[in-house]
Amino acid sequence: MRDAASDPAALEPLERLRVQRSRLADRMRPPWWYLTGIAIMYALVFAVPFTSRYLGLSIWPIFAAALTVACLLQWGMTRATGIKVGFRNLRYPPAGRPVRIAIVAVSVGAIVTEHFLIDRGLIVAAIAVAALAVVAEVAATQAALRGIRQELRAGGGAA
Amino acid sequence: MTAKPDPLIHPITRLSICGLLAAGADWVEFAALRDAAGISDSVLSKQSRVLEDAGYVEVRKGAVGRRPRTWFRLTAEGHQAVQGHLAWLAQLEEAFSASTRDVQQARPIPGDRDQPHRVLPPLLGST
Repeated sequence: MRDAASDPAALEPLERLRVQRSRLADRMRPPWWYLTGIAIMYALVFAVPFTSRYLGLSIWPIFAAALTVACLLQWGMTRATGIKVGFRNLRYPPAGRPVRIAIVAVSVGAIVTEHFLIDRGLIVAAIAVAALAVVAEVAATQAALRGIRQELRAGGGAA
Repeated sequence: MTAKPDPLIHPITRLSICGLLAAGADWVEFAALRDAAGISDSVLSKQSRVLEDAGYVEVRKGAVGRRPRTWFRLTAEGHQAVQGHLAWLAQLEEAFSASTRDVQQARPIPGDRDQPHRVLPPLLGST
């Protein structure tokens, strides 16, 4: 390996790698069915206060169904993009950390609010809260994916 | 992590493969890696085998229906080598841009009034 500090050609690989990483990150765009599936999954989650109150259903079958949908979506997304990014923690990706926290906060907040409104007979308001929460969660999922794309583009901290 | 060149990763194709696998994904599928790197199937197969033999890359083969699927990921050893090599390249880039800056400052373009000029110290004894 020659002394590359004075040779601009030696830096070409780094520039090329940035372009290639950008190409890889662009593959991480969700297909239409992924976001639809995410909306269905959250609709199941936010339907729990209604089904437990009016149908007498336990929350566990619905959460199991939501979890199954989530796993299927993750599997499908991995197959479609060819990139597997497993769940690490709420801090990953660093750019999307507030979004991950927002997803959890919206989920808990919406379910508590729905229970509160249903107890007071405000069914329409509870449905509106559930619908808004689904929209918020889909937007948050898109933002989290944007964070992962940004992380892939930046090389996960590597140069 | 020490910034040092790795002769095994230095060739452009292998650097592309390793750099992409180090980008943050857990596993990357053959076609995704090939398309992102802009190389052919045969080149990717050949170079990934070299990296696998060196213990830098882990290969997992499977199938979806009748279609074979191959997945790649960096091993811990591979990760360390790639980080070191990329840090070395980043240092070179830094050194190169610093030297380019120095040359530009030392030799301003003739007639360019906006360029910063170096003020020379007065000669001893001159008035």
